[in-house]
Amino acid sequence: MTASVAAAPGGTAGAALSVLPVVLRRALGWADAHRAGFVLPEDVLEPHTEVNRTLKPLGELAQLCSTISRSTAPHTPEHATANDLITFAWDQVHAGDLLLELLRGEPFAAYPYEIYAAFAGFGLRNECFERLAGTLSATRGWAHTEQHANRELGLINSERRVGTAPHTDAGDVLARTWLGGLSEPWMFEGPSGYALTHTVFHITDWCCVPERMPADIDAYLRAWLPPWIDGCLESRQWDLTGELLAVAAALPGPPPTDLLDAAWPALATAQAPSGAVPETGPTASPAETAQAASSGGADPDPYPFLACYHSTLVTAFAAALSLKRLTTHPAETAAADTGAAV
Amino acid sequence: MHDLATEVVLALRSGDHLATVCGAAGIDEDNRTGIAAVRVIGADLLLPSVLHGHHPHPGDIAVLHRAVREFPPRPDASDAAVWSHWGMMSALHRTASATAPGADEPNAAWLEGAPWQAFTHQLSVLAPLAVPAASSAVHRAATHRVVDLSRGFVRAVRRRNWLQAAGAGRWLAALEGRPDSLGLDRGLDFVELMGGTDPRVALHVRAARLMAEGRAR
Amino acid sequence: MYTTETTATDIELDLDEALNPGEAEGFYRDSRECAYLALLGGGSALLLSPPTPRPKKG
Repeated sequence: MTASVAAAPGGTAGAALSVLPVVLRRALGWADAHRAGFVLPEDVLEPHTEVNRTLKPLGELAQLCSTISRSTAPHTPEHATANDLITFAWDQVHAGDLLLELLRGEPFAAYPYEIYAAFAGFGLRNECFERLAGTLSATRGWAHTEQHANRELGLINSERRVGTAPHTDAGDVLARTWLGGLSEPWMFEGPSGYALTHTVFHITDWCCVPERMPADIDAYLRAWLPPWIDGCLESRQWDLTGELLAVAAALPGPPPTDLLDAAWPALATAQAPSGAVPETGPTASPAETAQAASSGGADPDPYPFLACYHSTLVTAFAAALSLKRLTTHPAETAAADTGAAV
Repeated sequence: MHDLATEVVLALRSGDHLATVCGAAGIDEDNRTGIAAVRVIGADLLLPSVLHGHHPHPGDIAVLHRAVREFPPRPDASDAAVWSHWGMMSALHRTASATAPGADEPNAAWLEGAPWQAFTHQLSVLAPLAVPAASSAVHRAATHRVVDLSRGFVRAVRRRNWLQAAGAGRWLAALEGRPDSLGLDRGLDFVELMGGTDPRVALHVRAARLMAEGRAR
Repeated sequence: MYTTETTATDIELDLDEALNPGEAEGFYRDSRECAYLALLGGGSALLLSPPTPRPKKG
């Protein structure tokens, strides 16, 4: 079974770097090999189509690969794969034309804009989309969309990516989030965990601009990420573990090396040989995997696409960020793990 | 053991300087099972007098002496068992009883290299050593690793291990330098309300509050 | 009946366990969401957000 971090809590120096290249290559390889799962169906624009099973995975593929591309060196295979996958996703949305059709169908929805922003942040633009979206995003109604604070930060980051003026001050919105309130860390659980990881993703533009993180939040996260990640590993919440590790790799200043060394080998145990990482729970045994493969589809795949794509992409995203931070900030870690003074 | 812890909690609450914990729990020097329970609760038998600043009841001192003699650490005893035994002797020594010479401190090296999770677990088990003005190598180790203990408190609450959280919280209440964002006061209230039916949890939380009040004065 | 000696040994073994207990297993349970007073039935679309919760296996 999987080793919890409680069984091997300290982590040895260099432990993260010893697993990260393989974890990244495999997770990205899984996404590449499962492009079919991201392909949009013919009826994607119909009102009955579930966007959470179609456009959400594709948008996340573009978003997370965009950070992977920015975090990996040119001429590496991972960089090339990430760029290929973004191109694939851009083709799927017909260079933005499909998103424009989506917006014409649901002009007052925010999600077409957010998906578009994933591409725009990478320099892929569609003038017609921006004309309609720009008109809508200048309205009072847009600025007063009712939603959770961490989601509103997502919208603000999307506006920043597209190049329009944010509809409100990001600092005020941040102060209303669970993270921005520096909540008592012993109140952490799944829902607050996802709220805080997304708050960080939005204020740091998906971990690409760590400097935007305020100093008090940096210190708060350095103090409390270790017990949060420990609990996620013990309860086998692999998806949230991956998101928290991305957060750990998005702290300004030196990376929290002890934490990364303790957690990455444990998360690596949850990865199947195919590269898939399940959202939660025990990983399938090799026998189950082999049986599903040899049955020619008669047995259910122990790693079905919709149950794995998010956690696998998140793992690749967090791994690329961690690798970058650990290799560009080698061993200057004296103060990185203390989290003092919050 | 639970009766004994309950009586300590009651004595902590009342601050009654005539209270005899062992007497209330029906334990005397001839009751071996009772003495074993005193060995487990350890130095906390005298905690009400320590925290309320009065002399302990002679009956409690006598029973604690008996537990020290009756259950010395065995050759293969765990570090925690050795330290809790030392803690009892140290508590007796602080009562200025001539029959209890200060004993040499055991080794605390095993704590130095412990990961923060195991460190918190061990410190929580040794929470009776978290008393005001009682220095020890364990206390010094805790002083150096306040952030680790704070992380351990967070971990213990997340795992709903109220006893460990209460023990770690008691240490944190006795130490300087925990991150403000921990929110220890509310956290201890929460731990008491969630796990306080275990008298050991109630004991540690009450000890933490009294120590925090004492430090604030 | 136990002899005094075996009773002593039992007590000492219990003492060892009581003085140096192992860690209790963690118990994890997250808050659920209840749509009480929510304006929309069903979930509104959350893009680029956490995975859609699925029933837990085993």
